[in-house]
Amino acid sequence: MSLRKIFLVFLKIGTFSFGGVYSMIAFFERELVEKRRWITHDEFMESFAIGQMTPGPPIVNTGICIGYKLRGLRGALSATLGQAFTGTVLAILLAAFYLYMKDNPLQQSVMKGVAAAVVGLLGSIIYKMALKLLSDYRSAFLALGAFLALDLFKVNPIAIILGAGVLGLVLYWRE
Amino acid sequence: MELLRLAMVLFVINALTIGGGYAMIPLLQREFVDHYHWLTNKEFIDAIAIGQLTPGPLTVMNAFMGFKIAGLAGALVAMAASYLPCIIIVTTVTKYYLQYKELWVVKAAFAGIKPAVVGLLAAVLFFLSNGSVINPLTKGIAVVSFALLTFTKLDPTFIIVGAGILGALVVK
Repeated sequence: MSLRKIFLVFLKIGTFSFGGVYSMIAFFERELVEKRRWITHDEFMESFAIGQMTPGPPIVNTGICIGYKLRGLRGALSATLGQAFTGTVLAILLAAFYLYMKDNPLQQSVMKGVAAAVVGLLGSIIYKMALKLLSDYRSAFLALGAFLALDLFKVNPIAIILGAGVLGLVLYWRE
Repeated sequence: MELLRLAMVLFVINALTIGGGYAMIPLLQREFVDHYHWLTNKEFIDAIAIGQLTPGPLTVMNAFMGFKIAGLAGALVAMAASYLPCIIIVTTVTKYYLQYKELWVVKAAFAGIKPAVVGLLAAVLFFLSNGSVINPLTKGIAVVSFALLTFTKLDPTFIIVGAGILGALVVK
């Protein structure tokens, strides 16, 4: 497996996968397990599990893990570069365009519509996460506590995350 | 100096993104908008929209913000600082996966952090909606987007593009 091949297949994954975690994961599996047979289904599932149980965005981490399994640290770097390339280039172009058009009234109208949609999308993501994660008193207490700490007391979210981790150790001791 | 600060902030935030890519949003909002004033709240929402529109992970929004702060160098530093902690952590964990899997400490800490992230995101959503959901039209767009993403399999990219077109046609 050459590094160039790893870069190219992750470039394809990073370019043609839209629409969030699950469509990307399905794309990963189709390209790497079914079409190219670089890794087995079990290795893929293990990589996905590692992606979810490590800090950092799960999609990014799954890609890094697969690259690492294929060719060590350089494989991980190739996978990362490939996965990030198209999105980064597009984001830079859009940022340049966005800054150039900043005072254009049409852009402002477009972005007002877009901002409202982002609020709706985030709302839906929170709703789905809540259904999945808030399953008992402990998790509901942690979610409510974090909400109040940020909304009312303006505690730094980094401190809230660290605090929730420590509380997790207490509440889920050796489970 | 600005670049170094940007790199430090993104390194720490990415190392603490637990429970999905969206978990970074409350941390980014606090550091980029409230603390360093690199972006306004409105620009921050636009950055999230860009992250949704572009292919690949939401992390790409960091390139957009980096460019806004310090041009091309800012975008490249932002991406490097976002990926570096992930590469360090994931390669180490992959190597020692069998031992790591059994660490109850990690599992318990994650079990505490994941629900807290839901609460943080909800608080940030309230905050962001104050400036952007302001009249009947934007309320309508927010409710319809919520319903479409929750109850159908429609791709978020289409929802954002549709809302942009609607904004161009209707908002003055």
